[in-house]
Amino acid sequence: MRLEWRLAWRNVWRNPRRTGLTVAATVFAVALLVMASALSTGMWDKIIDDTVGMASGHVTLTGPNYLEDRTLEQFTYLDATLQARLEENPAVAGFAPRVNAFGLLSQGDVTRGVMVMGLDPQRESTVSTLPGRVRSGRFLEAKGSNEIVLGERLAQILSVGVGDELLLYSVAYSLESAYDLFRVVGLMRLPNPDLDRGLALISLADAQAFFVYGDRLSEIAIRAQDAGASSSLAEELGLSLDPKRVEAHPWQEVMPDLAQSVILDKAGMYGMIGILVVVVSFGIFNTILMAVLERKREFGVVLALGLRPGAIFRIVYIESILLAGVGLVLGLLVAIPLALYLQTHPISLANNEEMVAAFEIVGAEPLLSAKLVASNPLFSGLTILVVALVAALYPALRASRGKPVDVLRSI
Amino acid sequence: MHRASHRTLIDIAYITMAYITMACITMACIALTLGSPAAGAELLAAPPDSDAREIARRAEDSLRSERTVIDAAMTVVSPRLSAPRIVRFQSWEERDTKRSMVRIQSPAKDAGTGFLKLHPNLWMFIPRVERTIRIPPSMMLQSWMGSDMTNDDLVKESSTLDDYTHRLLGIDPAPEGNPDLAAYVVEYIPNEDAPVVWGKIVTWIEQEHGTPLRQDFYDEDGELLRQMRFSDIRAVGERKVPHLWSMVPLNKEGHSTTIKIQTIVFDAEIDPSVFTKRNLRQARR
Repeated sequence: MRLEWRLAWRNVWRNPRRTGLTVAATVFAVALLVMASALSTGMWDKIIDDTVGMASGHVTLTGPNYLEDRTLEQFTYLDATLQARLEENPAVAGFAPRVNAFGLLSQGDVTRGVMVMGLDPQRESTVSTLPGRVRSGRFLEAKGSNEIVLGERLAQILSVGVGDELLLYSVAYSLESAYDLFRVVGLMRLPNPDLDRGLALISLADAQAFFVYGDRLSEIAIRAQDAGASSSLAEELGLSLDPKRVEAHPWQEVMPDLAQSVILDKAGMYGMIGILVVVVSFGIFNTILMAVLERKREFGVVLALGLRPGAIFRIVYIESILLAGVGLVLGLLVAIPLALYLQTHPISLANNEEMVAAFEIVGAEPLLSAKLVASNPLFSGLTILVVALVAALYPALRASRGKPVDVLRSI
Repeated sequence: MHRASHRTLIDIAYITMAYITMACITMACIALTLGSPAAGAELLAAPPDSDAREIARRAEDSLRSERTVIDAAMTVVSPRLSAPRIVRFQSWEERDTKRSMVRIQSPAKDAGTGFLKLHPNLWMFIPRVERTIRIPPSMMLQSWMGSDMTNDDLVKESSTLDDYTHRLLGIDPAPEGNPDLAAYVVEYIPNEDAPVVWGKIVTWIEQEHGTPLRQDFYDEDGELLRQMRFSDIRAVGERKVPHLWSMVPLNKEGHSTTIKIQTIVFDAEIDPSVFTKRNLRQARR
């Protein structure tokens, strides 16, 4: 075995240029694989985080049918038992009760239909990014009443600023007309333009009074400790709830469009990875095969000298493992630091209008960020390694077969 | 050789015929399913000289005149409510200028609330907060005062005559609810640019006096969304006017809205100052 490793090592350096090219191709492929999936994970994590942070949380508890009919008609409750259960669950990072309803905001001659979200200012900050998005003024306060926070674009449409009074009009749960004046205390900047133009926040207590809603809630948004575990958390919570009153949905159910985009994008990425893998495998296959054919005579001689075919097979195989291994290690050495750097230093695309528009569609901030999860380099490395091993199979077999006499004669 | 090709030809002919037959049967089935009248009931053919638009105009005229004043009470029934919600209101309408005014009289919380339509704008005034809201056109189909009526139903932004194309489907000899009043069944299809969300409206119009008896509202996919029934038909001058209008939305179980007309005055004298924003802001409680 020693001998085989030594022979393989020498053979690798016999044509340094060819070896260099193969290693470079492998490095490139590994780096590309790792970066592509890190960027994709990073981007989607950001989008999901932004969207989930502004919408219904990783897991949403709602009344039955709320997802089909998002009106006051569908409601749930946060009773002491449920509250205690959520507080005790280690997988729950935070939860926020909300009332969501449609309302008309009016100022002067301008009226806009908006989504009114009644929320608990303190609890909200444990779930969503809304409190942190206030650009001028302040967020709602627990003790304040008849305060409202708007998106900047909505405020612009209504021509109001911090301190102005607005009329909110709607139909209450009791089917009475509901109207009251609210004072603008803060303006927030939301990356999703539809929300920025159409979301108004008031306190949960105000909302329940305004809509004559008692202690009913539209939803309880939950931030999971681990975003990736949303589905299992929803399932776990769902088991302990009374399905007639409360249902637990992972964000994929609440925002099916977003979930679908993620799946589509992932499929596209896997397609690309597949093509890449095929290209790399042909590269490795080609190099090894050439190296084998070129040494036909040599193999014939060593076979004649008494080296066993199995040993030749192993030599060729070790060569390809060396090539792939070196390429793999170098590739990971290039890609991992780069991905980690982008993870902590995302690149802002805010000065590229097209990118801003593209990100606005999905409602996220235009940042190019990466996220490296352990499975990514493992998976990428393993893929390339397997490809190299499979690609080397035929050349190695070819080299080890054949009788010394034929081989020598054929040259 | 010859024989064989003959046989093949015959086979092809048989198979082709079989396919054509199957296709014909399928198409006939589809045609039968789609072609049956939306109303479902067996309609009699209408006289060939009948004019659908003229029938629709008579229906319109039996509920409206140039200037109409109505006193009414609206009852909203919903599973949410332990007792029905009753809203009393008065309405003034001037048809050809497309102006109308509605004032709520009760319940107390809403008393004095007014709606003023000066085409194409709709304003609402809430006396308690002394604010006027302009209701944007996109809100015309929102619920009016928590009922199953929309803002559009109330102020009639769309015209049943000008915004629709009418087609006479036939005559229903015994309409549901009013079996002794034979009625024309007219389909209203909204014109392209009409401010209407319905895919179509099918209206039953009593033959002799043109009283509307029933209206079925369909969405654009042809699904029945809500049904309006007119009953308690009384003579007012030359008109036969239904005094009870009940609306049942089919997608909201247990909900219904009934408007009971207390008084209706046709060709009334209405002071033009009624239709002003100044008047809107003068809440008489």
